[in-house]
Amino acid sequence: MSDSEPEAMAEADGVPSTKLPPHLELRRTRVLCKVDAPDNTDTIQYSGAYASLGHENSLRFADFCKDFRVDITRISDDDMELDMVGVDPSIANAFRRILLAELPTMAIEKVLIANNTSVVQDEVLAHRLGLIPIKVDPRLFDYLSENDTPNEKNTIVFKLHVRCEERGQRLTVKSNELMWLPKGSEFLKTSESLTSTSKPETYTSFTCSQDSMPEFAGNPIRVYPDIIISKLGFGQEIELEAHAVKGVGKTHAKWSPVATCWYRMLPEVELMEEIEGEKADVLKQKCPAKVFEIEDLADGRKRATVARPRACTLCRECIRDGEDWEKRISLRRVKNHFIFTIESTGALPPEVLFTEAVKILEDKCERVISDLS
Amino acid sequence: MSAGKEGRALSILRDVFLANVRVIKNNFRPKCIYVAVMLRRMMEAILNKDAMDDKDYVGNKRLELSGQLISLLFEDLFKTMISEVQKQADNVLSKRSRSSQLDLSMLLVKDSITLGLERALSTGNWDVKRFRMHRKGMTQVLQRLSFIATLGHVTRILPQFEKSRKVSGPRALQPSQWGMLCPCDTPEGEACGLVKNLALMTHVTTDQEEGPLISLCYCLGVEDLELLSGEELHTPNSFLIIFNGLILGKHRRPQRFASTMRKLRRIGRIGEFVSVFVNEKQRCVYIASDGGRVCRPLVIADKGISRIKEHHMKGLLDGARTFDDFLREGLVEYLDVNEENNALIALYEQDATPETTHIEIEPFTILGVCAGLIPFPHHNQSPRNTYQCAMGKQAMGNIAYNQLLRMDTLLYLLVYPQRPLLTTRTIELVGYDKLGAGQNATVAVMSYSGYDIEDAIVMNKSSLDRGFGRCIVMKKHSAVNQKYENGTSDRILRPPRKDDRNKKGENPDWERMQILDNDGIAAPGEIIRPNDVYINKESPIMTKGSLKMVALKDSDYKPSRQTYKGAEGESCVVDRVTLCSDKNNNLSIKFMIRHTRRPEVGDKFSSRHGQKGVCGTIVQQEDFPFSERGICPDLIMNPHGFPSRMTVGKMIELLGGKAGVSCGRFHYGSAFGEPSGHADRVEAISETLVKHGFSYNGKDFLYSGITGCPLQAYIFMGPIYYQKLKHMVLDKMHARGSGPRVMLTRQPTEGRARNGGLRVGEMERDCLIAYGASMLIYERLMLSSDPFEVQVCRACGLLGYYNYKLKTGICSSCKNGDNISTMKLPYACKLLIQELQSMNIVPRLRLADS
Amino acid sequence: MANRESYTYPSNSGFGNDAMQGVSSAGVTVSYICGECASKVALSKNDPIRCSSCGHRVLYKERTKRMVQFEAR
Repeated sequence: MSDSEPEAMAEADGVPSTKLPPHLELRRTRVLCKVDAPDNTDTIQYSGAYASLGHENSLRFADFCKDFRVDITRISDDDMELDMVGVDPSIANAFRRILLAELPTMAIEKVLIANNTSVVQDEVLAHRLGLIPIKVDPRLFDYLSENDTPNEKNTIVFKLHVRCEERGQRLTVKSNELMWLPKGSEFLKTSESLTSTSKPETYTSFTCSQDSMPEFAGNPIRVYPDIIISKLGFGQEIELEAHAVKGVGKTHAKWSPVATCWYRMLPEVELMEEIEGEKADVLKQKCPAKVFEIEDLADGRKRATVARPRACTLCRECIRDGEDWEKRISLRRVKNHFIFTIESTGALPPEVLFTEAVKILEDKCERVISDLS
Repeated sequence: MSAGKEGRALSILRDVFLANVRVIKNNFRPKCIYVAVMLRRMMEAILNKDAMDDKDYVGNKRLELSGQLISLLFEDLFKTMISEVQKQADNVLSKRSRSSQLDLSMLLVKDSITLGLERALSTGNWDVKRFRMHRKGMTQVLQRLSFIATLGHVTRILPQFEKSRKVSGPRALQPSQWGMLCPCDTPEGEACGLVKNLALMTHVTTDQEEGPLISLCYCLGVEDLELLSGEELHTPNSFLIIFNGLILGKHRRPQRFASTMRKLRRIGRIGEFVSVFVNEKQRCVYIASDGGRVCRPLVIADKGISRIKEHHMKGLLDGARTFDDFLREGLVEYLDVNEENNALIALYEQDATPETTHIEIEPFTILGVCAGLIPFPHHNQSPRNTYQCAMGKQAMGNIAYNQLLRMDTLLYLLVYPQRPLLTTRTIELVGYDKLGAGQNATVAVMSYSGYDIEDAIVMNKSSLDRGFGRCIVMKKHSAVNQKYENGTSDRILRPPRKDDRNKKGENPDWERMQILDNDGIAAPGEIIRPNDVYINKESPIMTKGSLKMVALKDSDYKPSRQTYKGAEGESCVVDRVTLCSDKNNNLSIKFMIRHTRRPEVGDKFSSRHGQKGVCGTIVQQEDFPFSERGICPDLIMNPHGFPSRMTVGKMIELLGGKAGVSCGRFHYGSAFGEPSGHADRVEAISETLVKHGFSYNGKDFLYSGITGCPLQAYIFMGPIYYQKLKHMVLDKMHARGSGPRVMLTRQPTEGRARNGGLRVGEMERDCLIAYGASMLIYERLMLSSDPFEVQVCRACGLLGYYNYKLKTGICSSCKNGDNISTMKLPYACKLLIQELQSMNIVPRLRLADS
Repeated sequence: MANRESYTYPSNSGFGNDAMQGVSSAGVTVSYICGECASKVALSKNDPIRCSSCGHRVLYKERTKRMVQFEAR
């Protein structure tokens, strides 16, 4: 949790560096969350910041290799929580931004509506279809640019055809009614010339069926099944075809592969003075996240300890009631330890999302290096 | 002659002077007594300033409702019709030779009453001869901007007199308005304080039968006026009894009389809207049963104890009892403004003292429908509540349950409306939660990006992508198949398709008619672009003249297609097309064209506290700050909007909304509702927040989305209900380089619809003068507007003309071109000179050497 | 009220801009939807605007048969 020993490093590098006194080390590595405002929020990046003390503040690769680690706390199919230790907030933020905006996904972009007599207007229906997550690996597809024709390498076609037949009942159209069409579009374009080829044109030109490809052979493309698209009354019908293409979240939020993705710094709660007896009970009561616990001492006294600092939500109840509580407890955040949470929408599992994000960051760095040299 | 004058004077005294006091068989005594009472009051007022009546007292005002107005109009029209028949009958009867029997029914002008009523309703001009009334603006088209706009419009009260600017008395807030008229719902500007709205529980009375009530009064001990002398009338302990403005007599035990009347009213023997008011100072008891008084229901309390008990309330909750049962059983009664003066009303049951006579049903009912939307209005500065009352009517939302079937001229709908997280009891009573007009946006109150200055709002692009603030604007276009006098009518044709060719082998215009169906009318669901034809109509060329029975050929028709004129780049969709017939049985076709709009920079949004703002910029979600739980705000509001505006209600709304989202229950913020549980207290809300791990003051620890480091302050973040207002930049943006001009003055036209220019007005001219920028004034006011070159004759000073053949200017009066100079004048000036000339005034221009 | 049997088109002289020889007007029937009972009403030219089953006098047009394309944004 706290910083490493710099002396051994320093000698290895050949640059002498003394350890910082504890109060400066606190300033360097912790955000102090006081009652009225947080303090120390910026990272001290200047390498000569502590030059007068003889401490070298530059970031050295060997240090980074030694300190950096990633631990996965919790992982499931949809979300993941991991701890990233030893990085600057800007790097963690870079990962967050890439996960939100620059990881490609497939989402519905063009909707061809043949019939829509429901109360939901065409554009609203199209908008809703665009936001439905599609559970397919976007790495298998290419981008579709304006001049390209839609083919099996860059488009996924879905069909929706529902009609409410029952009188007196409303039919709820959920997203699991979207059928994947592996052979491409079924709607015929009204052909320009009468003397066309024997096969009429559709809106896409698939050369082969998508389920002949090995990735989709036994594994049809599905969408997230439970989303309500529309509700139909008696006699109302929706018939449409939706074409999904690859895109990034920067263009439109529907292409963001994460429901959301965020990080928080590791909380650290320290008791500045011993809190015993009744005050310990009061303290334990105050915290809604149950951060504090009572420890019985040998001679019958009770003492408050910090049991679960990680659960602290920074409600600041413990330091609320006046100066004396403020000076007893110090709420802090560790500046280089991040608890990342990634909630995927289903296209890719969260750990793959993270590794893809790393790859994109790598690409960006490569580009910078190649452009600069 | 004197007999004639005397007769006329007598008839005026009998019928015109104090017309409400009847003179039966020439008995002028009641009238004399009335005049005497009036004089007595005048003298009292001269001696004691406090005895003067307040002109703006709501108890002295009456509301004229539509029934009364229409009955006046009907009476007038009926009498007119009858007098017309009479005149016609006289005409016919006075003729010597009459062939047929007089048939009165033939003399009746058909539909005169119908047409008269229709005309009055459509123009709003009420002309009643009997009262010499010529009122304008009596009818208005019901506003259908949003549901609350409609409700607010129907509960509006307009004053009769014009907007007299100087007098501030009628515009001020009256204490007697309490409970009857809404204190904060009044428009800003000219009509401020004059136009009012009804409060929630106000009832306007209607006329009741006077006869039974008068005889009841006499039964209860009122001594008849006829039997009393002047001295007897004004003995110290007897009070005058005045019924609907008529003096009935006097009574020696007025309090007893009043309480008996009230008891009779409470058990239902007399109408519930009869009011009995004892005025100690004037020593009168006023009984009113006329129509147009405002009254409201209150709970009756006997010596401070409310008559409504637990079992009554239980019955009400179960549905066994209704409000009318309460009224009939004497638990609740209606008091009008005057009678309220005799009652001691407690706000809450716990505040009742032994002298209390009534208890308020609920304090939040002093506000009207529009003010009832505001959460915690009692924590806001009052002008902010007034601004919200005005803006709530402009918010986009749902109109009614059948809004998709209606063909309104302009319809604004919100795509994803929500109900507020922090509601009020009024919202639930009125049904606003079923027809919401806004969305709950997560708002962070912080300075961000510098594009939020002067109330601008920073919006989250991803929220807009996901549908926040999307609205649908639907406009109506209509077409009528006119029938003309000569029997011909318009016709609608099947459109030419791409492969069709006409006689000459051409096929013009098929591209513009692609959206037409086989019957020549645009089909719903098609995307319509500017210059697309939406109805392929043709009109006959010859419309006047004799009745034509012959079928017309194609060449007798000229096309009169209607094309869609919209802004470039807007892609609208035809939503619905209706075929119906209008009044004259012509085929009428109405098109609704809808446009779905996404919020952009310049669209106006507002919260429910008079905090309006325009979207300043749209920022990507990655750049927005995020909280420790991953929540990213939809909207960022500038904190400078709070200190001078003091809308604390908005801050409490944020806390309440945050607590509501965390614990899963809607919170309430009704006006003055904390003691009675209709509004959640801030302490309770804070406790809920703490229980769920938030800070008690609603401030969260946010990380910057751009740098990744935490922000250097705790930010106030939570859900607030934001409304999208109908002022959108797409409807307002306008620019002109050069364009059409008005024919008369050759100056640029006015208004966006006519591609007009922007006026440099008098005040702007004054600013330019202050700068000394004379050339700029010359450029703006002449060169860019209407420069015109004229030939002026130096000799006579009149305008001449330019002869192109001789290539000189000639003066028409001097008949030569020797003294002509050319100069530039604004065309409007030349127009003025010519107009003066036409009036025989000679404006001569005297030129000097430049 | 007077003639409900509304507008009478002058009969067949062809359609749109003196074209279409040989196509008669009577053959074109377009189906509309009644406002009250939502049943389909097929009308050709010169028919009065009225629902055949319930007599309601307001008819709506059916949605177009052509395909429309929207962007899902």
